[in-house]
Amino acid sequence: MDQLNVKEQQEFQQIVEQKQMKDFMNLYSNLVSRCFDDCVNDFTSNNLTSKESACIAKCSEKFLKHSERVGQRFQEQNALLMQQGQR
Amino acid sequence: MFGLGGTSQPSISSAQKLSAAEAELDMVTGMFNSLVSQCHSKCINKSYNESDITKAESLCLDRCVAKYFETNVQVGENMQKLGQSGQFMGRR
Repeated sequence: MDQLNVKEQQEFQQIVEQKQMKDFMNLYSNLVSRCFDDCVNDFTSNNLTSKESACIAKCSEKFLKHSERVGQRFQEQNALLMQQGQR
Repeated sequence: MFGLGGTSQPSISSAQKLSAAEAELDMVTGMFNSLVSQCHSKCINKSYNESDITKAESLCLDRCVAKYFETNVQVGENMQKLGQSGQFMGRR
């Protein structure tokens, strides 16, 4: 990855940005599906109940905190793996 | 990651290098996404009484990530052994 020249790095940066956009859309639709699944089970009304809506708010906030924490641990473990690989 | 992309041959083309880098990126993001999703299913309480991650959940998450990596390494080693023993994918 480090041996890319400047032009290649620019091209790669574009690929990364495209993927980030896709990744964000994926995250969004996954979160909708997860919170819908966990929070919305009552179909006696057309609208979300206040309970469901509160659950969805917590579900999405918690998920973002969750993925942040997993991201931190992921980086740590990844760094550890690289260190071991170099020995 | 996993020592991939470390073997640099001077003769490979730009397109090849880029697609190798892209494949590596895909692998790492794919791994991260499945990690997020699997550790969420295994650790996060679905009753959502609060928006913060509880102490028990965060402990579970930290262990979940560590174990996922350990599993990854072990599966890699096992597959390497299988490959060498020749009973795998019809190799001799």
